[in-house]
Amino acid sequence: MADLDASYAAFAAARGMELVPGVDVGQLTPLLVESTAGGQLNPAARGPLAEGVDGIVGHLAYQRNKKFRFTVALTQVPSSTPFVPRLFCIRKGRSTRDDEFYGFEARHAKLWTESTRLNERFTVTTGPYQDPNWMRQLFSPALVDWLANKPPQDFSFELAYGTLLGSVEEDDPGPDGMAALCDATAHVAERIARECEE
Amino acid sequence: MQINRVGYFLIALFGGLGLAMCIGPPLAGANAETSLIVASTGAIFVLTAVGLGLYARHNVKKAAHNDWIFQNGIKGTATIVAVGNSHTTVNEMPLMKLTLDVDIPGVGRTEFTRREVMPVFTANRMEQGLILPVYANPQAPGDFILVW
Repeated sequence: MADLDASYAAFAAARGMELVPGVDVGQLTPLLVESTAGGQLNPAARGPLAEGVDGIVGHLAYQRNKKFRFTVALTQVPSSTPFVPRLFCIRKGRSTRDDEFYGFEARHAKLWTESTRLNERFTVTTGPYQDPNWMRQLFSPALVDWLANKPPQDFSFELAYGTLLGSVEEDDPGPDGMAALCDATAHVAERIARECEE
Repeated sequence: MQINRVGYFLIALFGGLGLAMCIGPPLAGANAETSLIVASTGAIFVLTAVGLGLYARHNVKKAAHNDWIFQNGIKGTATIVAVGNSHTTVNEMPLMKLTLDVDIPGVGRTEFTRREVMPVFTANRMEQGLILPVYANPQAPGDFILVW
């Protein structure tokens, strides 16, 4: 834990962020709901994830049958709610729980894209009754290509009611890994915000 | 709600195991008393599978109907007037009671109460004054889907 604190302190100092001992961001996205502590990030750093995008980067850990650990970056895209209330782009094979097996779940729609690379790497789902034309515009060839090739290998993101959570499945990805997570999350946030403005 | 892979697996498991328990012992030559005891348990499994199957079919039909409303319905808005948590959960998802002021163009405003099973992160966002899109059946405006 001391190493983790030191990593966050160094990262916060390098990026001009404020180190915070622990922050409860609430159960705002599916991954944050999984945490029995309810969205508790500890340690965490608050400030610019990238130029023009503020947020929080933090360590999320929770215990179910085993310990799950993630490094997450949280930011807001409030303009997205009327266009896309829920959008999840989750790395295929990611596990966020292993102790609950329910046969029924809230209805969702899987996004179909022509990109084999994207489909191999991610499962993209939205809420039902989503405007398909808007989704096609959001998932432009440039974004699809970027998602398929650029973000960290274990990157996923969840957008729920204006809250965007990017995450990687690492306990301590180090300064470069945290920077890559922040950059990827900020890139997704900017892309969604830009499409909402259009 | 929609069935997932675990749901299909549970239906197959309960159905298959139940049928095996109903017909297996007599075929294996077990005595009548043993066969009856095992078969009665198997029948419960089969009934469970049938129940799950019927629930899944009901949800498929409901989803198809809602899809039709989404494609053909009138788009309006619903303003949340009151939010109540029934303190009942379905698969860890709370059953929320929403009082809605539904405004459909050409129809007018009407207040409805709707119960919805929602994921926790959605339920946490439901608050008085929140405006959500709705799509109403053109033939029956009270038949609407709430987009959350």
